[in-house]
Amino acid sequence: MGDSNNKIQFTEHLIAQIKKNNSATLKELYILNYPKIENFVLKNNGNKAQAKDLFQEAFIVFWKNIKEDKFTVQNNSNLNGYLYTISKNKWMDYLRSSSYKKTVNDSTVIEFNTTDEHLTDNDDDILKEKRLENIMLAFKDLGEPCKSLLKMFYYEKKSLSYIAEVINVKENTIRNKKYRCMNTLRNMVLASKKN
Amino acid sequence: MNNSKDISEELIETVERYLNKSMDKTELQDFEKKLEDSNFRTLVNDIKEIILGIETYELKEQLNEFHKEIDAKPKTYITSKLRFLHLKRIAVAAVLIISLGSLWYFTSNTNTRLYNKYFTPDPGLPTTMSSTSNFDFYDAMVNYKHGDYNVAISKWKTLAEKKPNNDTLNYFLGAAYLAIKKETQAIPFLEKTVQSKTDFYLKNDAYYYLGLAYLKEGNVELAIKYLELSKKEVSTEILSKLKK
Repeated sequence: MGDSNNKIQFTEHLIAQIKKNNSATLKELYILNYPKIENFVLKNNGNKAQAKDLFQEAFIVFWKNIKEDKFTVQNNSNLNGYLYTISKNKWMDYLRSSSYKKTVNDSTVIEFNTTDEHLTDNDDDILKEKRLENIMLAFKDLGEPCKSLLKMFYYEKKSLSYIAEVINVKENTIRNKKYRCMNTLRNMVLASKKN
Repeated sequence: MNNSKDISEELIETVERYLNKSMDKTELQDFEKKLEDSNFRTLVNDIKEIILGIETYELKEQLNEFHKEIDAKPKTYITSKLRFLHLKRIAVAAVLIISLGSLWYFTSNTNTRLYNKYFTPDPGLPTTMSSTSNFDFYDAMVNYKHGDYNVAISKWKTLAEKKPNNDTLNYFLGAAYLAIKKETQAIPFLEKTVQSKTDFYLKNDAYYYLGLAYLKEGNVELAIKYLELSKKEVSTEILSKLKK
């Protein structure tokens, strides 16, 4: 009993680190789980490049679900297993998709059952994906120092006072700058929608 | 200057507090009540999506970085094996350190005594920036100045992969390795700095630290060569003691 309690505590600790985008934790999960997925994809009509793309997509879904508390320790205590399931289901979706079937003979496709409800795409999800893509494209084109500043604040979760120390300016200056950067980015996103 | 389309700073910060779960009960209740209004909800969702977009973009970038390691060494990801190897390596290293340490203690000579007398880590650069393009460099500089040399090294190393010939980067990588007593690792970076053809403003310091590093390594010949090249007063002082 004590052992399983420890396990739950450890998983909860990992979840907290993932939510903070702790790069050491993310890296460990990535490096540890990739080989299993690569193996799986290679055995199921895929190549290495596809394995990489698939795993990265799955990793992002995994990370997003954890952020949104869709994964709870109560229903599953194994994060690695969760990541594996998402990846596997994604690959099965791909094999069943029309774009794949066009390229191969149907008989080679092995049928699997997927039950994970988070993975079934509906129109709303597709729209959301599209919007997210737009935001990422806009962010990619956002100039410096906005890009670095927003990265440190929103991704690395550094405090404004820390960032202020790094650049040696007043905290309020950074706060204001961050605000203006956010609006610049938002206006870029809005502009891209009109095109 | 304020664009009418702009969202207010207050709203952005409110959404941040909501996402961080740092609202108190009253604020949370108020906020959730406001969310019932569909216009407000759309604005909030917009901000949430933008933040998610920034995070997803950066995560993707990081995943590609992680993957480079898998491509580089395809066999090391068997972690249990890896940990075992690490343990073994640590044990071997410990034995080595203990035996070398005692050897060093008994044969403690002028070179190391001189080194210990004269070596102080480079104080680092002031973290003021004219342009923020060097953000990552100065971020690591803050770590360096706080004495978190290992953190600084790992950040600078990532930068050095993209800019292997940057004198400032190489110099501070050398300085950071010296600060954690890893002279052997420091030397190649300092060598690169002094061999660079550009007129580097810390070149004298680079010669000086390179000389000290060789002194610590026991290579007196090279130590003298580089200390002579560095036009620092303190070098002359060390040289006079070395040549005695």
